[in-house]
Amino acid sequence: MTMANQAKHSIKKRYFRIIFSVFALIICSGTVFFIYIQNEQSSLSHKREVMENKADTINELASTLKEVFFRARGYTSLKSDNELKLLNVALLNLDGVLSTYSKLQLTAEEIQFNEQLSAFYVQYKSVILPTAIALVEADDYAGLRALSQKGSTQSVNDFLAYTKEFKQRADNALNVMDRDSIKQAANFTLIAFMFSIVILLFFTIMVWRILKSLIDPILRLEGATHSLAAGEGVLLDKLKKQDEIGRLYEAFHNMARSIQDKEEELMMQNEELHAQQDELQDQQSRLQHSLTEIESMMKALDHSAAVGILTHKGVFTYANENLSGYTKYKKSEIIGYTYRLFELSNFSSTDMQQIFHRLNTGGVWSNEVQLLAKDGTLLWLQLSIVPYLNDEGEIYQYILIANDITSMKSVQQELAETLKHTEQTKMMLELNNQLNHDISYTLDKQEFADKFLHFMNRFYAFDSSFFLLVKDKITAVKGIPQAKVDRYLENDNDDMLYRLQMEKTYKIKRQATQSEQGISAEDVYCYDFYTTVVNAENEILAVFCGSRIGHSFTGEEINEIEGMMNRAALAIERIFIYEEIEHGRMLNRDIVNNINEGIQFVHTDGTMLHVNKALCEIFNYYDWTEGTLIPKEKWKEHFIETSNESAELRLFYQKAMSEHTMDSSSMQYSIGTEYLKHIDVYAIPVYRRETRIGTLFVHRDITREYELDLMKSELVSTVSHELRTPLSSVLGFTELLLSRTMKPEKQLKYLETIHKEAKRLTDLINDFLDLQRMESGKQQYNSEHANLSEIVLGVMDQYKLSSTHQVLLVDEAHHSEVAVDKDKIIQVLTNLLSNAIKFSPDSHEVRVHLHNEADRVIVRIQDSGLGIPQDQIGQLFQKFGRIDNSASKRIGGTGLGLAISKEIIEKQQGTIGIDSVEGEGTTVWFSLPNLHAEENPQEDDLNKWGTDKDNKLNVMIVEDDYSLSLLLSEELKGKGFRVTHHYHPEQAFEQALKTPYVAIVVDLMLGEELDGWDLIRMLKDDSRTESIPIIISSALDPTDKDLMTVVQKYLTKPYPPGELSSTLTEIVKIRQGTGEVLFPGNH
Amino acid sequence: MQKVLVVDDEEVLRMLITDTLEDLENVEIHTAENGLEALARLSADHYDLMILDYMMPEMTGIEVLGQLSVDMKSTLPILMLTAKAQEVDRNRAIVAGARYFMPKPFSPIELLQIVEGILSDNG
Repeated sequence: MTMANQAKHSIKKRYFRIIFSVFALIICSGTVFFIYIQNEQSSLSHKREVMENKADTINELASTLKEVFFRARGYTSLKSDNELKLLNVALLNLDGVLSTYSKLQLTAEEIQFNEQLSAFYVQYKSVILPTAIALVEADDYAGLRALSQKGSTQSVNDFLAYTKEFKQRADNALNVMDRDSIKQAANFTLIAFMFSIVILLFFTIMVWRILKSLIDPILRLEGATHSLAAGEGVLLDKLKKQDEIGRLYEAFHNMARSIQDKEEELMMQNEELHAQQDELQDQQSRLQHSLTEIESMMKALDHSAAVGILTHKGVFTYANENLSGYTKYKKSEIIGYTYRLFELSNFSSTDMQQIFHRLNTGGVWSNEVQLLAKDGTLLWLQLSIVPYLNDEGEIYQYILIANDITSMKSVQQELAETLKHTEQTKMMLELNNQLNHDISYTLDKQEFADKFLHFMNRFYAFDSSFFLLVKDKITAVKGIPQAKVDRYLENDNDDMLYRLQMEKTYKIKRQATQSEQGISAEDVYCYDFYTTVVNAENEILAVFCGSRIGHSFTGEEINEIEGMMNRAALAIERIFIYEEIEHGRMLNRDIVNNINEGIQFVHTDGTMLHVNKALCEIFNYYDWTEGTLIPKEKWKEHFIETSNESAELRLFYQKAMSEHTMDSSSMQYSIGTEYLKHIDVYAIPVYRRETRIGTLFVHRDITREYELDLMKSELVSTVSHELRTPLSSVLGFTELLLSRTMKPEKQLKYLETIHKEAKRLTDLINDFLDLQRMESGKQQYNSEHANLSEIVLGVMDQYKLSSTHQVLLVDEAHHSEVAVDKDKIIQVLTNLLSNAIKFSPDSHEVRVHLHNEADRVIVRIQDSGLGIPQDQIGQLFQKFGRIDNSASKRIGGTGLGLAISKEIIEKQQGTIGIDSVEGEGTTVWFSLPNLHAEENPQEDDLNKWGTDKDNKLNVMIVEDDYSLSLLLSEELKGKGFRVTHHYHPEQAFEQALKTPYVAIVVDLMLGEELDGWDLIRMLKDDSRTESIPIIISSALDPTDKDLMTVVQKYLTKPYPPGELSSTLTEIVKIRQGTGEVLFPGNH
Repeated sequence: MQKVLVVDDEEVLRMLITDTLEDLENVEIHTAENGLEALARLSADHYDLMILDYMMPEMTGIEVLGQLSVDMKSTLPILMLTAKAQEVDRNRAIVAGARYFMPKPFSPIELLQIVEGILSDNG
């Protein structure tokens, strides 16, 4: 019930509602009454006012009329004008009163009266009065009387009478009205009184009802409380109310119920207590009963068992007959002695401690004990000791009860032994089984030998044993040092084998060795047992020997062991067969897996039985493991989708696997996108005893063959093209010469062209053949010791006369001894130099650079020519791999030079490479192994300059005899100088401007145009080079005296090379000492 | 005056062809040493015959033909000269739009006769 509901149903609220409604009713009806009475009174007073007004008007009318007639009579009697005037005024007044009257609310009678009056007035005013006036004027009184006789006076009197009557009537009406209003007021008072009584009555009823609804349940509640107090059951209807009383009811109800519940519970507890009391009484009686029983039992116990009583200190105070009977001690011998009289042989002192502990804590101890009787026999007793406690919980005595179980015990022991025996037999059987299992499932010889020996040892308790598989020399050993076994295996064991051949089994009895003897004081004998495992052909497969110390072998055991050996024979043969099969299988697998071809064997139903490693690699398929079958859908789709020719491969598989296909078939397909793998696959149907069992597919990677084929055909096409171009020229110009007449100049030009082209053709053929020979490995290399510097200088010598290019050598190699085919290296150098010259048409210099790096000599040929696009450098070493553009085409060449060079260099343990920047130039380098790399560099004074590569001192040699040049440079290089070779004076001068030289060695006899003197002059005339020391090296005697002054040293050929180097050393020393170079001319 | 364009990367061969054709009357001979130059000349001038080498660096004869409009190929007779004399190459050249085909080495007299024939057909 919600609070809102509670509030709605609350008594307070209801009471308040009733009071409020009654109050509202009284207010409402009072107001209505008041308004109604007010209304009635106002209408009554209004009516009264109207009535009074009317009466007043009638009164006025009567007085005015009287006035008129009074004045008229006055006038007629007095004939006074004043009276006439007043008459007129009275007439006017009458007129006003009449009009006022006519405006009032009038009844029909009154209207009529009004009309008559008005008509009379009009008549009087317009007719009678003028006539009367005229009559007065005329003093005709007769006339006047006649006139008044005519009725006018009568009507006036009637009118007056009427007014009088009317006044009286009006007064009466007013009186009636007053009476009515008083009566009405009385009525209202009555009604109000009645109404009040009704309201009071209603209120009383409501209050009474509320009280009733309140008091009734309270009364009932009172009754219930009384009945609850009286302890009777409270039966209260559920009140359907939700007000305060209802809630009180509910709370009371709950209270009553809980009180009742509690009461019931108490009752139950009470009953239980009663029951417990009964039970206690029952127990007591039973206790007494059992006490008597115990007494009788004690008697029985005394008869059947040994009983003793000990004090808490363990001294016997009582012993029955049985106790002395069992122990053979007399009673008197027991009583007064401690328990130590009986020794328990099956308990140690620690066990005893535990027993005491248990007893001291009040526990009963019971166990089987063995003790020694007085006569020395061993007794088995079932002994129980019960401690007795006094009220303080302290032990005051022990009771000891014992039964003789000696006979039972011996039976038990017998039984246990039988059981043990059975257990052993069972174990043996299990071992036997184990052996059977092991030897039938073991496929490894060593494992077999170990297991077999282990079994034998367990089964026959050998102290040491040895099992040898004769053929594989596999041994299993127990209790014998390995060294001994090895010695036996290495040395001839033929003696034993020979004897075993004759005698399948034999045994030896011998004196035990020291170790076998152990601690035994007496002599111990050992028994060795030898036996063999032989196959059906009586070949010895294995040998078994075992020793037992001190135990011989029974005939039964020997028979058993021989049986064992037969079983071993079967197992060993089986292992041999397995190994053979396994070996064959492994061999097959290795063959199949190591073959380059991918092999796939597919069953007739499409299942793949076998796939080898090579095929897995081809198809990137690694789902297969040996022994699993792969369903057709799994492998076939993968293979087909992997290949680029899916449709063809699908068709090929379908056809090859079809049962109707009897012949082998093949196809080619490719795999991959960027690097195509070309595969040739052939299928062979496989039959076993006339039945088709499947199809063998062999996939062969023919990418190399395919590419070679492609390359070969490309090469053929390129070669034919390369040959056809010069041939076209030769044939064409020849034909023109033959068919036309032309000027001799033109003929010469044609012939020159023909010659050039034919030469080109020859070169091409030669180069091509060279390369073919080299590549096929037929080229012979005559390796000899040579100086690479010398070779380079020699080749450079051939270019000395070149008009366009100057070849410059910078020689930094300390060691340039190499073992090469000199001619071939010359071919390479010539090739590279001519390339450098050809491909740098706008430059005039080619630089050759020699230096050592690790154990190699490196030659770099550097030009500043056209250069090579980065992406094409790689293809340069291929045949016809020259850069394919118009510029290079103009330059010409066979396109085989670099390929040949690479071949030559690589055949002589060298490497070759190209560095190039397009538009800036190209450097081709090659390196060859240096012969004297391991030699220490010469320790020399000047070597300190030579150690740092960048700080080497530069010396230029301008000499056109290359052998001399070489000689000098070897000497100078040995001293750590970097030597630059030049043979052209002008270019030497230009070089001198670029590089700081410590000195320049000049030969006087140089070219035809300029000689050494010219160079010296040029150098001395230029401010940039004038300070460089110059050494002249010449065959001539000094002639030009002028120039001699600027020359540092004049060496006349021939001179020992040491002279030049010592001169240079001197120069360097001077420079180092003073910081400047001294010249003779300066002195 | 009829115009012939000779396109070959080998200078010697250009000389051989121009010298062979120099006897023709009213014929002007222009040369180009690579495909790009040939295309430039073709777009700048009207030619009555193009003698085109097959194997050229940078742009082969076939590639030059590929750059020509269909219109141009239908009006301009093209003679393909090539050191690649196999059937395949011949077919490739014909498919690409060359009307005549001569393998290298060629006979200048024969070339002269063919060129004369083509030019007189055009004239």
